[in-house]
Amino acid sequence: MATNISFILNGDEISYEVKDHWTLSHLLREEMGLIGTKEGCGNGECGACTVIVDKLAVNSCLYLAIEVEGKIVETIEGLASTSGALHPIQQSFVKNGGIQCGFCSPGMIMSSKALLDKNPDANHEEIKHALAGNICRCTGYVQILESVEAVKNMGGQNE
Amino acid sequence: MRLPRFEYIEPINFEGALDLLYIHKDNAKVLAGGTDLLVRMKKGLLKPKIIISLKALKELSYIKKDDSYIKIGARTSIADIIASDLIKKEACALFEACEKIGAVTIQHYRGTIGGNILQDNRCIHYNQSAFHRSGRQPCHKDGGKICYARDASDRCNSTCQSDGATALMALGANITLVRKGTERIIDLDNFYTTDGIMPFAMESNELLKEIVIPIQGGKSSYKRLAYRSAIDYPIVSAGVFLKSSDTSKNEIEDARIVVGAIARAPIFLAKASSFLKGKKFNDISAFKKAADISMDNASTFAVHNVGSTLEYRCAMVSEMVFQALKEAAIVTQE
Repeated sequence: MATNISFILNGDEISYEVKDHWTLSHLLREEMGLIGTKEGCGNGECGACTVIVDKLAVNSCLYLAIEVEGKIVETIEGLASTSGALHPIQQSFVKNGGIQCGFCSPGMIMSSKALLDKNPDANHEEIKHALAGNICRCTGYVQILESVEAVKNMGGQNE
Repeated sequence: MRLPRFEYIEPINFEGALDLLYIHKDNAKVLAGGTDLLVRMKKGLLKPKIIISLKALKELSYIKKDDSYIKIGARTSIADIIASDLIKKEACALFEACEKIGAVTIQHYRGTIGGNILQDNRCIHYNQSAFHRSGRQPCHKDGGKICYARDASDRCNSTCQSDGATALMALGANITLVRKGTERIIDLDNFYTTDGIMPFAMESNELLKEIVIPIQGGKSSYKRLAYRSAIDYPIVSAGVFLKSSDTSKNEIEDARIVVGAIARAPIFLAKASSFLKGKKFNDISAFKKAADISMDNASTFAVHNVGSTLEYRCAMVSEMVFQALKEAAIVTQE
C-alpha cells in the first residue's frame, strides 16, 4: 500500500508517496537519489545510515519511511551551504584526517552534528559516547574523535 | 537490505490497537521502536502481514511513582528511562541495564523498554540471513527438528539476551498484559518460559501495557559482559537486589540474584540468593561464595550459542554476580 506523507527534508517541505515497507534509508537513497546517506549492515549495527530526525540521530535503515510524517529530517546533503561551502564539522573532518575510505563519514558526521547541536562543548567522553554506534572499518577512530573535538575551536566559522 | 512487504496500520488509541490485535492475531506484529522487529523481518525470521505501529500511542510513554510502585509505560524510550532520577534512585539496576542497551543512536528514542523485554531469544545459528539459513536444515526455532548449538538436542537452546529483563527480574517487577476486554498482571519470573521457541507466556492478541517495579527500599545493580561497550548484546549479565533488615542496617534481609544471557530466560538463582540472607553487607567472602554458587547453578543452562567460549562465559557468571553484589552493597552502605 502507498501513503502520501509530508515532512521537512534539509529545510525543504517534501511530499512523497511511500510504500509501507520502505525504510527511511530506502526512501532517501533508492527513491530520492540522496545517496550521501550510506547503508552498511542494514541491521542497526554500523551507524553508516545515521540521519537526524527531530534533532535526534537515528539509524535510517531501521526507521520506516512512513513514520517520518510531519518530522524534520536532516541528511548529509543538507550540511553544506547553498554556495557549496562545507559545514564546520565537514571541514574539520577534511582538515584533521577524519576521512579515510569515507563510507562511515556521513554517519559519523550526522552523529557528531546531533551531539554538537545539543551540546557544543561536548568533552572527549561525551563525543566517544555519541559516536559509539558508528563503526569505522578503516579504524580511523582517533582522527575522527580529534576532528569532532577540533570543531569546538573553529567557532562555527562559515556558518 | 529490504523489508518484506506488509501493511502498516497506525491505531490512534490503545483500544484501537487492541481491536487490531484481536482481529489479526498471529498475522500481526506490534512495532514500537523497531530496532529488534525490523532486523528480524529483514532476515526473514518474521513475516507479519500486518504491522501495528504504536507511534501515535503517546499514552503508553510514562514513568511515574504510584504509592510504593514505579510504573513505566511499555512504549517509554530507553533514553527517557536513563534520564529519570526516580529510576536511578529506586531501580538502579534498570538504569544501569538501559545505559548499556544498543548504542546512543538506537537508544535515543527509538528503542523502548517494552521492546527490550519482549525481544525474542537469540542464537548465532538462528539470527542469520535467509541465505545463510537456506543452506542447511532448519533448526527448532526455524520450524525444524535440529539444534546446531547443542548436539542431539530435542529442543531449542536459544538465549534471552535482554538487558532490561534481567534487571527487572532482579527488581521483582511484574507486567500488565492487556487484550480486548481483559487484562492480567504477571510477574516476570512466570512470564519467561523455558521454551526457546516461545520464550514468553503471552498470547498473540495481547499487548504489553505497563511494567511495575515495587519500591522495596533495597539497592540493586546490573553488570554485563559484552564484546564492545556499545551495540553488542551481552554474553553474560547479572542483576542483583539487596535489602537490609529493619533492625540491623548491616544485615542482608533479602537478596535476589538473576543471571541473564546464559539460558532461555533470565534465571533467578534461588540457592545463591537465599545463601546471602542473614549475611553482613561488608562480608566480601560471602559475596564471593554466592557468586560461585551462581556460576555452578547457571552453568548447567549455558549453551555455546552467543559467541565467546562456553568456559569463559560460565567463569564470567561468577565475576559479573560478584561485581554487581559488591556495587549494590557499597551503595547500600553509603
